[in-house]
Amino acid sequence: MAEVVIRGVDKAFKDTQAVSGLDLEIRDGEFVVLLGPTGAGKTTTLRLVAGLEKPDAGTIHIGGRDVTRLDPASRDVAFVFQQYSLYPHLTVFENLAFPLRSPARRLPEDQIRRRVEDVAKLVRIHHKLENKSTKLSGGEMQRVAIGRALVRKPSIFLMDEPLSSLDAKLRGDLRLELKRIQTELGATVLYVTHDQIEAMTMADRIGILAEGHLVQIGTPREVYTEPATLHVAARLGQPAINLLPVGLLPDGGAPAGAITVGARTEHLTIERSANGHADGRVDWVEHLGDQNHLHVTLADRKLITLTDTDTPLRKGDPVTIRLRSPLFFDGEGNRIRGGVNT
Amino acid sequence: MTDANATLLERAAETAVRATPAPVATRVRALSDRAVAWLFIAPTMVLLLAINIFPLIWAIQLSFTNYRANRPNETVKNVGLQNYERILTDSDTWLAMQATAHFVFWTIVLQTLIGFSLAYLIDRKFRGHAFWTTVILVPMMLSPAVVGNFWRFLYEPQIGLFTYIVSFFSGIPPSEIAMLSSVKLAPWAIIIVDTWMWTPYVMLICLAGLRSIPDYIYEAAEVDRASPWRQFWSITLPMALPFIMLAVLFRGIENFKMFDMVNLLTGGGPGSTTEVASITLKREAFEKWRTGFSSAFAIILFVAVFGLANIYVKVLNKVKSR
Repeated sequence: MAEVVIRGVDKAFKDTQAVSGLDLEIRDGEFVVLLGPTGAGKTTTLRLVAGLEKPDAGTIHIGGRDVTRLDPASRDVAFVFQQYSLYPHLTVFENLAFPLRSPARRLPEDQIRRRVEDVAKLVRIHHKLENKSTKLSGGEMQRVAIGRALVRKPSIFLMDEPLSSLDAKLRGDLRLELKRIQTELGATVLYVTHDQIEAMTMADRIGILAEGHLVQIGTPREVYTEPATLHVAARLGQPAINLLPVGLLPDGGAPAGAITVGARTEHLTIERSANGHADGRVDWVEHLGDQNHLHVTLADRKLITLTDTDTPLRKGDPVTIRLRSPLFFDGEGNRIRGGVNT
Repeated sequence: MTDANATLLERAAETAVRATPAPVATRVRALSDRAVAWLFIAPTMVLLLAINIFPLIWAIQLSFTNYRANRPNETVKNVGLQNYERILTDSDTWLAMQATAHFVFWTIVLQTLIGFSLAYLIDRKFRGHAFWTTVILVPMMLSPAVVGNFWRFLYEPQIGLFTYIVSFFSGIPPSEIAMLSSVKLAPWAIIIVDTWMWTPYVMLICLAGLRSIPDYIYEAAEVDRASPWRQFWSITLPMALPFIMLAVLFRGIENFKMFDMVNLLTGGGPGSTTEVASITLKREAFEKWRTGFSSAFAIILFVAVFGLANIYVKVLNKVKSR
């Protein structure tokens, strides 16, 4: 395992700037998740670290070694692709053993067998070692792909949305397993996803990418509670943060220059109005089983928040809405700290 | 075979019934849906029966007789399996089979090797690869008759371009390079022409196979430190194999019944060195007019190709399902 240092990396494809001026450090044994929408440059960043793309500018160091110009084979990285990139017509065992059979690291056969079996147990596929890789289910295939990355003990694992082609249940299971494996091995992982739950649950630090720039990086808690920009705030939280113009609701003291108020569930107090004054009206109570989504119409805006399953509010109820230390953003979408509680 | 066809047709009829919207049936009030469906497929069925099934059955029947098409008034005698017996024990037919096997084997080997290599090069996506693909495909687009005639000129010992070039590079005098009249060279002459003409076809199928291999598999192998050599043997070749095998099947069936080009180039000669099965068949049927005998020969060829192709397709399916 080793740390990875990316300095001032640019990468353009024809006239699209995929990544610009990227600085990123991944510490030894750290699980860093890059989160962002499609086209933000997440996958390109990953491919740059892997050596599948070469940067136009900047440097990449892995474990203190400058690998900027090296090809993937000499970088000692492992890559898990979004698609199940297994070698068809090879068995699970042969797929897992594939990286160990390269001339650069030729191992004796009994050692290969031991390593493969250990990894197969780790990713829970050891009962299917002799199966053809094409005869596996999606979840099993991706387990094998992850196993193939693990078997080499590389300096860093690069994972490009490895769970996105799986169904929700499997995704949840593998998410936990992946985190367990990473903790067990103390592995350094750079993980790309557009799924905020994956990011929040697995990451030691989350990096938010937008249009090729790293907008913010921090622990999941930091990024969630102290988003640097409107964009970051909008990426995290379920239901998504409500964005309202300043002044629509009595917010006490919006800081100077604030244009937009961002309010998640924890920033809102919604009660049935008692005295005839109403800020909004309940539009719909969405029952999700373990929780409810409360949809409120406020002037021509719509708010969505979480609420208790035993909420007394019903469709059509007039409500008063109060903000509790919400997030403020300026005209550029940058966060303005401060603001007075009401 | 007729049974299989009948059930196929029935199934087609049923599908048509299901697909026919109700208004059509109401407009043709006198007919039931099923009748309308049969009406629609009737022309195809009639044609199929008239030009495929009926001649086949008739040929089978003729193969047990001594019928001669140039003497229609002679009494036709049933000779049982005599025709078959004679063919299978006749050394001439075995020579023809040998010539065919030689031709089929070498054309497939050469076309697969060259075709796959070309496809592999074209798949590198170098500058102008689309242009070169088109250029390579040109021979395939020509008519076999044109190709046969052109190559006769190219093989011409005195004025032929092929002869000139070979003689220029090898130093052998052109008079000794009689591609079409030498017993040794003639079998290779037809192999060269067929390879020239049909390698592009094999290349095209192989190219489709190579293009079907996703990039990320190669990228995964690259990260896994597989050498280009290993990538070729453990990814490229196994994944393109079903396509290669398909090309071999197509070329094999085609060349087993090769007639036009060989007939134009050598006419089976010199002697009978290039007399592939279909040329023997033509000689027996339309020069010697032994219709019964040649019918039996045709049936034997048909069964052989059909049987081999069936076995091959089974193997192909096994390879595909790996």
